[in-house]
Amino acid sequence: MIPKGGYFGKILEVNLTNKTAKPREISDETYRKYIGGSGLGAFFLWNSLKAKANPLAPEAPIFFGVGPLNGTYCTAPRMSVVFKSPHTGIFGDSQVGGSFSNELKWAGWDGILVTGRSRLPVYLYIENDKVEFKDARPLWGKDTYATDQAILAELKDQDVKVACIGPAGENQVTYAAIIVDRFRAAGRAGGGTVMGSKNLKAIAVKGTKVVPIVQDEPFMKAAKAAFKLAVEKEAWQNIKRWGTAGLLESKNWGTGSLVTRNYQTTWYPDIAQIGAEEAERRFWKRHTSCPNCPVHCMKIGVVRWGPYAGLVAEGPEYETGTMLGSNCDVAEMGGLLKAIEACDALGLDTITMGNVLGFAMELIDRSLITHADLDNVKLEWGDVPAMLELIKRTAYKKGKAGQLFALGVKRMAVKIGKDADFYAIHVKGLELAAHDPRGDKPRGISYAFGPTGGDHHSGDSAPTAARWAMINSLVMCTFVAGYPWGPQTPPIFTNMLNPLCGWNMKDEEFWDAAKRIITLERCFNVREGISRKDDVLPKRLMTEKLPDGPKKGAVVTAEEMKKMQDDFYKFYGWDDNGIPTAETLKKLNLEFAEAQIKPFRKA
Amino acid sequence: MEEKEKGALVKVEKNEPSRRDFLRGAFTVTAGGLVVFTGIATPKPQVAIAQEKPKEPPKDVYKYLFASRKYCTGCRSCEYACSLKHDKVVRPSVAAIHVKRFWGIVDVPVICWQCDDPAPCIKACPTTPVAIKRDPKHNGITYIDKKTCLGGKCNKCIEACPPQFLSRHPDTGWPIFCDTCEGEPECVKACKEQAGNDLAPCLREEKMGLGVNMAYKEVKVADAAKDLLMELFYPSKGGR
Repeated sequence: MIPKGGYFGKILEVNLTNKTAKPREISDETYRKYIGGSGLGAFFLWNSLKAKANPLAPEAPIFFGVGPLNGTYCTAPRMSVVFKSPHTGIFGDSQVGGSFSNELKWAGWDGILVTGRSRLPVYLYIENDKVEFKDARPLWGKDTYATDQAILAELKDQDVKVACIGPAGENQVTYAAIIVDRFRAAGRAGGGTVMGSKNLKAIAVKGTKVVPIVQDEPFMKAAKAAFKLAVEKEAWQNIKRWGTAGLLESKNWGTGSLVTRNYQTTWYPDIAQIGAEEAERRFWKRHTSCPNCPVHCMKIGVVRWGPYAGLVAEGPEYETGTMLGSNCDVAEMGGLLKAIEACDALGLDTITMGNVLGFAMELIDRSLITHADLDNVKLEWGDVPAMLELIKRTAYKKGKAGQLFALGVKRMAVKIGKDADFYAIHVKGLELAAHDPRGDKPRGISYAFGPTGGDHHSGDSAPTAARWAMINSLVMCTFVAGYPWGPQTPPIFTNMLNPLCGWNMKDEEFWDAAKRIITLERCFNVREGISRKDDVLPKRLMTEKLPDGPKKGAVVTAEEMKKMQDDFYKFYGWDDNGIPTAETLKKLNLEFAEAQIKPFRKA
Repeated sequence: MEEKEKGALVKVEKNEPSRRDFLRGAFTVTAGGLVVFTGIATPKPQVAIAQEKPKEPPKDVYKYLFASRKYCTGCRSCEYACSLKHDKVVRPSVAAIHVKRFWGIVDVPVICWQCDDPAPCIKACPTTPVAIKRDPKHNGITYIDKKTCLGGKCNKCIEACPPQFLSRHPDTGWPIFCDTCEGEPECVKACKEQAGNDLAPCLREEKMGLGVNMAYKEVKVADAAKDLLMELFYPSKGGR
């Protein structure tokens, strides 16, 4: 059945090998089961990839997915990029804000599924139904900002929105990001690497269509009510005022989960030097927002002091500010912003890059590596010029240091050997984001069970993980879809979805869809060999007590970890080993996965 | 700081001609405008104006939007509101207000200046009778005669538009004009809703009817973007 509303009913299938682009119709039933974004991407990924497939092979797909609410009045400005991660070898998905997603929806597509590999660099230009493969040879090697500007200049249209990769993606650094709107990044797990492996430099899109709505009035009423919740929710008033930079200080003084010096502590009194107050005093000049968003969490400013004077940058945001700031002991705002800007321009994931730098700094401290191993770049805590040099070398995989850093902490630890493994903070190969689970234990659930690995975007309890799966599939932003939590949560979504799509979804079906998405993502990972043994936090966080800060002495105990696992598996109907049971698969209409999952269950 | 200023601003009667001319002069002189404006518009004269309010708006008074560009966050809620009002759908490509983002950094709201006679778009219109009309109610340029307009075959008004505001309807090819929603613009309401918590709205309700921001008039979109970029380098606190 063709969808009645909310969706255009088709995705764009692009094959870069033969340079073909054709629409593929998706039925309403499929949408209702997998919603869109991450969910739909997981469905495509499961179907088109075999177990242990090479994520960088030409036939490996990358899906740029939007959901039913994108392009409507509802504030849903995000896009999910779904692929098999070259960084971790498991499910990869990353969300990005900015104006690209709505533009893609308005062009009449619910997503773009790209496969194949172009012989020469290309970029895609999509204007409604028209799809062009354009020569990207002049763009190859350019940084993300220059690429964006060059494409706008070539197309002579200021309204085109661009998602592109930088040199890191071209050079196949496994944690390369896809950058949208200059400052927004689908950073995690290496989407940019997959794009680079296909010689796809960028996607430019412009759309002028209208998202069909089945019942206009009830939808607008529900969307406006949801919008009002987002505006009025007190927690988001702080985000509106301070951006996520406000969290830098609150996580240090209050929560005690500010990652500091490669997870040695969560106490960083110098945070005042790079926090929101300092940023406001010296740096911020503009608030910027995604489409129709009342939160305007992005803050842009100009550095007007020191060696990086004149730099126009966005930030610091919580994750970038922590991982390249306190985690590397950088207590200078200008240097921090320069490091963030360098990662964005080169197309690197700031979270992973920050982890790698902090990891290397600690290893030097502990004499597990020497400066000679880093081509004599004198990397020390808080040394911004050395960091910038190494960020650049990483993006180009230049020299011994560049080659080493491009591996990410898990494979770096293997290569370095000795007890470097203890200081490598990752789950399933993906470096943790900037919340220390010793100080903020619920966040540990997101890291341990997130489908992509150490991801902070997967909820802080078993039920909220389901809500996150929905948010990533719809594809909304947590700052506006972070509706009050409780029994009233699903109706906020379904009140919008039902009149929009002509459905009659009840709470239970909503939960089932969320569980289906999480379970399918899990099945994908199970097929890659993931089970209970991998759903654990890094050893350091479970043995080393926090030495100071508000949560002094805190540690994630083995019992706590076991309880988290048991609760999580029970909620989703997975067995003791974390493998979805046959009944669960049947209940969630995932019978097609049974044959491939069965061998992984214990007899 | 901005919130306080906003509180001090007094809603000046929209259609009072002498006052409008006076303030327009004030804006031409002071680019920043706000402080001077606050100083002039004390609550005292407002009482007097209210009593003198003419029943019919004078013919030469135009309704304008007033955009304080530096407060624009690029959220496009004005575009959403505009298309919702006129087309009953969310479709920024048919909105009669545009937000252009430059270099990912600055956002320029592009609005109709409702130019004085002779309006460049009317002057440029090649048809007889001229397809672009002024609304007799408030003299603003609001609509086209769809029978005479050449639509997609002609580009004259779009080329002539000094604020580079006119755009073409993606389906019909007709240029899209702003009717200021008969004096109650939806975009202004939407902007007000989005703002707050340390950020003033970009489209200023209290200044509507007084005129296009004179400090920005005759500035092309790309130049406005450059101005906004340069403005970043001035000292100011917290993006306000």
